[in-house]
Amino acid sequence: MTLVVETAGLGKRYGRKRALTDCTLRVPAGRVVGLVGPNGAGKSTLLGLACGLIRPTEGSIEVLGDRPAASAAQLARVGFVAQDAPVYSGLSVADHLRLGARLNPGWDQRLAEGRIRQLGLDPAQRAGRLSGGQRAQLALTLAAAKRAELLILDEPVASLDPLARRAFLRDLLEFVAELDVSVVLSSHLLGDLERVCDHLVVLAGSRVQLAGDIDDLLAVHYRLTGAGEDLDDLPAGVEIIQSEQTDGRTSLIVHSAGPLRIPAVDPERIGLEDLVLAYLTRAATASVTGFAAKPVEARR
Amino acid sequence: MIWLTWRQMRVQTLTVLGALTVLGIYLVLLGYQIRHAYNTDIVGCRPDVCERAKEKFFDAYDGPVGMAGALLIGAPALIGIFWGAPLITRELEEKTHRLVWNQSVTRTRWLATKLGFVALVGLAVTGVLSLLLTWSASRYDQVLGERFGALTFAARNVVPLGYAVFAFVLGTVAGLLVRRTLPAMALTLALVAAAQILVSTEIRAHLMPPVTTTVALDAAVVEAADGFSVSETDGLIEGYEIPGTWSMAAQSQLFNADGTPYTFEQAKPCMLIGPAGKDCLAKLNLHFGYRHQPASRYWPFQWIELSAFLGLAVLLAGFGFWRIRRQPS
Repeated sequence: MTLVVETAGLGKRYGRKRALTDCTLRVPAGRVVGLVGPNGAGKSTLLGLACGLIRPTEGSIEVLGDRPAASAAQLARVGFVAQDAPVYSGLSVADHLRLGARLNPGWDQRLAEGRIRQLGLDPAQRAGRLSGGQRAQLALTLAAAKRAELLILDEPVASLDPLARRAFLRDLLEFVAELDVSVVLSSHLLGDLERVCDHLVVLAGSRVQLAGDIDDLLAVHYRLTGAGEDLDDLPAGVEIIQSEQTDGRTSLIVHSAGPLRIPAVDPERIGLEDLVLAYLTRAATASVTGFAAKPVEARR
Repeated sequence: MIWLTWRQMRVQTLTVLGALTVLGIYLVLLGYQIRHAYNTDIVGCRPDVCERAKEKFFDAYDGPVGMAGALLIGAPALIGIFWGAPLITRELEEKTHRLVWNQSVTRTRWLATKLGFVALVGLAVTGVLSLLLTWSASRYDQVLGERFGALTFAARNVVPLGYAVFAFVLGTVAGLLVRRTLPAMALTLALVAAAQILVSTEIRAHLMPPVTTTVALDAAVVEAADGFSVSETDGLIEGYEIPGTWSMAAQSQLFNADGTPYTFEQAKPCMLIGPAGKDCLAKLNLHFGYRHQPASRYWPFQWIELSAFLGLAVLLAGFGFWRIRRQPS
């Protein structure tokens, strides 16, 4: 299995502040990976490390089998759109395409021009006068026409209105299918990513809480609801992620690698949103109590 | 990469080239004017009116030559402030470094192209300015005879090139470290000004050990000196300078032919009013040591200063290349 991102014990500190801690990930190729977590969880740090803008303070990271930004060839294989999609405000849309063509050996001018036409952008327009959505599209066009093997998008839709958000993501899915690239995109809202991702990484409190293909993750998590005593004695290997008490009944969200059989309790499948929320809640509680949760990774 | 650098610098470069053209035309006209004045008023002037003619000549061209010189001395600082400091900080402030550093070009090559291209433009601008001023003011400098003067030396021939490249790289590296445009500009200005002042007041005179030659006090030397002073123990000649050389001492002690110090007792007979006193002094067969940098060291000094600042620029650039790869962003 080829990996687009592989990290081991990866960490980044700014002075005494930990932006990312002990991050170990294996992201397979051909996925659209959603990186979810609250603001300040370390998403931008992880993406910055993956594209080589930031250097790790500990651990290691390999992207497409090489150190990020190690060489021009490695830079050519990874397309990156930073948060807020920075572009040169004084340069026109056409200038940006020329920039892309001059600085990238694998540049696909046909693709770039096609996208600009399709988006209805005026090539003579200065990038500084584009709307947030148009700027994001221009930045994405630059990254896409580079014909990279991996696209990294940091909060690509955060500054867009709901309509532009939908259009951007639909557009992204279209050309991901067309170009056969892997994509990692981050958001603090799961709702943005749910429709486009098939692999998920949940970050909170600078640590990875959950990572895996979404189908696999959903297959190993259950909701158990019952009277308190029914759930006191869970089989070995079952980990409680979240526990709620309402009206004398207990509702658990648990992780279990194998099939789950508990007398008098019927395990239910849960949705992605509930699953992510359970892990984020656990992380938030852990950061208050000082208990560090072990990340869960689903494997085939 | 060169295209991008040019595209980002286009407006500024064309503005500077426009200003340079205007200034160039002015300097050429000034040069012809000075040459004309020199040929008609100074060359072969009658001894009785020569001093007066020179005074008039200096009065007329002090201003223009001084202003152009000041501009040339200020040019490196301007290049450092407006081209060097924002080179990286503007990208950081607008976050466009996250765009450009993720194209298929390493940061090293990005910085190398930027540094190389802008340094060449800076060199060309300063070089043309220096060449024109050096030509334009050549007759003026020749009559003045102070090629080592603090403001003259640093604004003629090749030395300005060294300052320009140094200031530009310094500005860039300051921007890389400070990461914000305005503080980087202020830091660049302070450091470039400090370097220029320090070199002209403290360092340049010591580039080579000064030479001391013995000068016999004859009528011509007495005439050339600003004045004399004597005390119980010694006598001094003040303000004497051989044209074209750089005097290292404002005054030198006078000695008799046998090597004993010339004193007040001996000076008494010559304390006469007017030319008679000078004639008397010139006949005493005195001599003194003249400590100076000889005129022949002008070009070695120019090359040493140029190489030193180019060397500093290379070291700074090396640091910049090392730093930019570790730059957290």
